[in-house]
Amino acid sequence: MTKLNDILSPFTAWKHVVREPVTIKDPLNREAADRYRGFHKNDISECIGCGTCESICQNAAIDLVPVDGVETKDGDSGLRPRVDYGRCCWCGLCVDVCTTNSLSLSNEYTWVDEDPDNFRFVPGAENKSWDNREKGYKKPGNGYELYSPVRESMEELEPEQRDQSFIEIVQGYSKEQAEKEADRCVECGICVATCPAHMGIPEYIKAIRNDDLNEGLRVLYDTNPLPEICGRICTHKCETVCSVGHHGDPLSIRWLKRYIADQNPAEEYKKILNTETLQPTGKKVAIIGSGPSGLSAAHYLALMGYQCTIYEKLPAAGGMMRFGIPEYRLPYDQLDKDINYILSLGVEIKYNMTIGKDITLEELNKQYDAVFSGTGLHMGRSTRVPGTDHPEVYQAVDLLRDIVLGNEVPVKEKIVVIGGGNVAMDITRSLARLQKQKFGKVDMLTTSLESEDIMPADREEVIEAREENAVIDPGWGPVEIETEGDKVKGLHVVKCLSVFDENRRFAPKFDEEQKKFFPADMVVESIGQGMDLSYLSEEFKEQLKMDPRGRILVNDDFQTSVDWLFAGGDMIQGPDVIHGIANGHKAAMGIDKYLSDK
Amino acid sequence: MQTIIENLQKHFQVVSYHQQRENLGFLIASKEVAVGLITHLRDYEGFAHLVLLTAVDWIEDEHFQLTYLLHHPEKKVDLGVRVMISRENAEMYSIHHLWEQARTYQRELREMFGINFPGSPDVDKPFILEGWEEIPPYRRDFDTKEYSEKTYFPRPGRETHDPAEYMKKKLYPNE
Repeated sequence: MTKLNDILSPFTAWKHVVREPVTIKDPLNREAADRYRGFHKNDISECIGCGTCESICQNAAIDLVPVDGVETKDGDSGLRPRVDYGRCCWCGLCVDVCTTNSLSLSNEYTWVDEDPDNFRFVPGAENKSWDNREKGYKKPGNGYELYSPVRESMEELEPEQRDQSFIEIVQGYSKEQAEKEADRCVECGICVATCPAHMGIPEYIKAIRNDDLNEGLRVLYDTNPLPEICGRICTHKCETVCSVGHHGDPLSIRWLKRYIADQNPAEEYKKILNTETLQPTGKKVAIIGSGPSGLSAAHYLALMGYQCTIYEKLPAAGGMMRFGIPEYRLPYDQLDKDINYILSLGVEIKYNMTIGKDITLEELNKQYDAVFSGTGLHMGRSTRVPGTDHPEVYQAVDLLRDIVLGNEVPVKEKIVVIGGGNVAMDITRSLARLQKQKFGKVDMLTTSLESEDIMPADREEVIEAREENAVIDPGWGPVEIETEGDKVKGLHVVKCLSVFDENRRFAPKFDEEQKKFFPADMVVESIGQGMDLSYLSEEFKEQLKMDPRGRILVNDDFQTSVDWLFAGGDMIQGPDVIHGIANGHKAAMGIDKYLSDK
Repeated sequence: MQTIIENLQKHFQVVSYHQQRENLGFLIASKEVAVGLITHLRDYEGFAHLVLLTAVDWIEDEHFQLTYLLHHPEKKVDLGVRVMISRENAEMYSIHHLWEQARTYQRELREMFGINFPGSPDVDKPFILEGWEEIPPYRRDFDTKEYSEKTYFPRPGRETHDPAEYMKKKLYPNE
């Protein structure tokens, strides 16, 4: 039965019509909370387009797209994130993981537009009303990082443990350390373009994370057949652009590479790398010089089935890696591990063979289908200031070579080195060890034209040299080496104000008023090396095209103007090991192309 | 707080206790004693209010962590009771008889983590995911990205670029 109330109650509800509403009249004008997560903001001058925001987005709401006015260059992909608000769930993970801290969320959450496509835009590149809003969600500070900004520290010998011997200083990562370090990688791949060999860096770091070191080794050998060596002494340009390095320490890419190579036993390389049997082509290639470029070319040519013979002037292989880099940075057994594997692929080395003396280039051309030359830069350059022709003035590369060959090396109590590059640090630290052994103390002074901030040597080399009690006093230009009869008295220098002009050309400026005298009874010059092309006959040199600076001209395949001769290594690019490896690889592919077309 | 814990330890096995701040602490109890312990906290210690019941998937350790957060209105302190239960056939005793609202939490955990609470009213009814056929979405082995790619088709006009590939194309295309 219907109750009276059931009939009346709809009418009593009408009384609410005249009541003050409890809701807010116009919510569209209400500002959100200070840390509300609204539309994105991106400082596109800080952003490097690493794409980590895209990778972490669980809704696939972010695309990386080219943006007008943003250039692709070392350390910056030139891409910027575009957000699709049809998918964004405003979780803020993209902000939390952003490596450059450029991405944030404003607290603006209302925006009315009739065209749905407008809700897909590149924050920072397309102006929005909330771009300058301070309020919103930013990456939380310390303790909330999604990856550690701090590098796993590396065990090294203490200065007093190492300053008398040539034992390797850097101890290498343990499994636990390597995996922890690898865990910091965001896999963006920004580093790949900067590496001269374009190594698959994110892939091999991933292999460490997955504890699949065989796979790691395969990734390394795709582009670099000298991983033990590069894992120790590479100039690691990759680390200078690492996205994680923008707010924290960059990944320790070089030590991770070393970890993979160290952990794989030499006797299993052929099995892991699937090189137990190679298909021979029947063609032969001669290689001059067993430095990084020659070994790299030999390795990749051998994989393609070419019979390679390396002609080496010295009694051991490795070039500058053996005769330039001291043992405390690169122990010989590790160098030999890489070289012996390449030899195991059927590459032969003829030692103590000087081209032009023991065999001529023309003879090589007759005996082989192609020739690769990577003879490097082994002739020390002189400052040519008065006194440099004195017998107690030496070239760093000559001394470094003599140390390795076991020849007697002159060591005086007070030595001055001129030069600010890695070779200068190598000779400084080597002589410091020999001084310590001979005299029980170190008295080394190294000076360079470049001031401390622009010294070309790796930073850690300078730091470690000082730890070993060498004095580094940069920013001085040599004027004269004072001599007296058969003795050297020291080096006169003046203050160097700048090294390069505005066009980045070498044009040092000095303040002649600011003078200094470094007393010494031995001076070593280490200001750079030149190439020695005396193995080429005069007739041959005339056929070979050179660039205006006297370098051999090569095409993209590292082929010279004489079609059967290819050239690489420090003569052409660098100078450093990784450029040599890269151009030796390219030359190997160039030779293959040349011989396949022939 | 310390006296409450000491008192509690006389009656129950408490695996560990951690004082996060003055008015907040967490203890770990075994699955078997947890409901008795929570009942004791409510009826004898004065933790009258269930603030929340939630879970964490510790997939590497193969268990779920349940957290019952209890509030003491007079002392103004909170105590979290953590219980580790196996991920496989995940099941926990219901506490809906202690607090009526626990049934809602348990229904949510059933849906989002796949943890069963036998006897809890309506525990098998869909909570917010109607017609869900995947593994429970808060389980860490649920691939959110794969699901969203499969479920929500991309809008036309979308394209993306891999930074490393793009840089190769721009900076060294012939190498």
